[in-house]
Amino acid sequence: MRRLVLVALLALALPTLAHAGTPASLSAGDVPALLKPPAHGVRILAVWALDCAYCEANMQALAKLQQLHPQDVELVTVATDSIAQGAQIAARLKAMRMDGYPARAYAEASPERLDFLIDPNWGGETPRTEIIRADGSRQGISGELTMPQLQKLRP
Amino acid sequence: MRTFILPLLCLLSSVAFAHDMPGMKMPREPALGASAAFDTHGRLWVVDAADGHVRLRHSDDLGKTLSPPLYVNAVAEPIYDEGENRPKITFGSRGELYVSWSQPRAKPWTGFVRFARSPDGGAHFSAPITVHHDHAEITHRFDALAVDGHGRVVIAWIDKRDMEAAQAKGRPYLGAAVYYSWSDDAGKSFVPERKLMDNSCECCRIALARTPGGEVAAFFRGVYGDNIRDHAYALLPTDGKAPHPERATFDGWRIAACPHHGPGLAIAADGTRHAVWYEAKSGPAIWYGQLDPGHPPQHLLKLAAPGASHADVAVHGKTVWLAWNQVDANGYTLMLRVSADGGLHFDAARAIAHSSAAVGSPQLLTRQGHAFVAWNTADGFRLVPTEAR
Repeated sequence: MRRLVLVALLALALPTLAHAGTPASLSAGDVPALLKPPAHGVRILAVWALDCAYCEANMQALAKLQQLHPQDVELVTVATDSIAQGAQIAARLKAMRMDGYPARAYAEASPERLDFLIDPNWGGETPRTEIIRADGSRQGISGELTMPQLQKLRP
Repeated sequence: MRTFILPLLCLLSSVAFAHDMPGMKMPREPALGASAAFDTHGRLWVVDAADGHVRLRHSDDLGKTLSPPLYVNAVAEPIYDEGENRPKITFGSRGELYVSWSQPRAKPWTGFVRFARSPDGGAHFSAPITVHHDHAEITHRFDALAVDGHGRVVIAWIDKRDMEAAQAKGRPYLGAAVYYSWSDDAGKSFVPERKLMDNSCECCRIALARTPGGEVAAFFRGVYGDNIRDHAYALLPTDGKAPHPERATFDGWRIAACPHHGPGLAIAADGTRHAVWYEAKSGPAIWYGQLDPGHPPQHLLKLAAPGASHADVAVHGKTVWLAWNQVDANGYTLMLRVSADGGLHFDAARAIAHSSAAVGSPQLLTRQGHAFVAWNTADGFRLVPTEAR
């Protein structure tokens, strides 16, 4: 009986622990690895915020791009909200069907330092799309991407 | 066995709590969204939020020590307490304390503007009321609070009722709107809200300041033309007359985004409208200027570039103070520039405080002609003097 209770509890608990859309904490020390050029193709950081009404459409457009080029585009969602709001971030990612991608959320209670470390030429407006190419080149775009901007991102 | 089950139950209950109460955050350290103000006796008051309560603390030694917190709202509720959304505090002419905040609702980006009053200097607070008469589950948040020269309590906020109505009819509507209301009875009730302007930014704080004539003026980010995020200036009439918002910045930053970056405003006794704001048309920039609504600002000064954020402005006589956060890899530096000639010239920028921990937006406060910066850090609240002591 005891074993049964334990198994039942674990079965309930584990999906919440291992959920794909559950954000992992992004601290200052984690930023260099996130910005390291990928071995090939492009890594795209879809930077968003709970307060941002433009971010959902932008992330979904980037997801479509990734799905068209799954071998060449690595997509990571990065919430500028504190990881203390991890439950809300996970719920929102799930609601917008973005929970299938690696997700990060800021480890700090205010976003400016991590914003600066990710891209010093960015003032924190969201959505922000950071493009990191295998050749080491970088590009950052603020605002919801237009169709021409999206087309230029194709590998 | 029992010891193993208990943590699992705790885990499950915390997950259930997060799902059952949308917008309500799990118990955690207080967020950095705080506001501070000096009352007429020079006592410093600080409001922030913790565990669903707006907390009120005061200090009689310029922030060195803070009183134990009092809860403004006895019954816990979700509270926006980060970034551009933070509880606010101001005072009536007869010792009243007024506190406002925005309450998240279940759906994303929704909120209600809440208000509570204390008639006895913070000893007791009324039960919170919702300020707006529209109770649709939509955006009413980013509240801003002021008291006019007649003692009316004035509150402005970002409101999406017009956007929702337009969307329901399949019509385009850029941004949100700014609405406002006021109380003629010291905060016991608020008149039905009025629209200040269509097409405002959705996620930037509104700056309010009192004019020499005692009116309340607002300076806030709008959406002009095709998503140009310049700012508007308007007086908030409380006599039934229609407001006349005018474009007051002309940077031309076009973007479909949330800047998360509202402006600051302080109006001098001679009527000069000192303002600070952010835009990023050619890279991130914080600007100072003197507003000339309908025309570009005068005495424009680019204060700072990358890494600078959330400036504030204060004025006393001919002295103008500008403060902002400057970030680098090592943390946050609180920066200051001062003008002694009404904003015509400013001294060089200087660092007045540093924090390796996260910080909230700086807020400039004046007391008997001296300026201080309320700076809420993850290591605690600080009141930073602007003068060497």
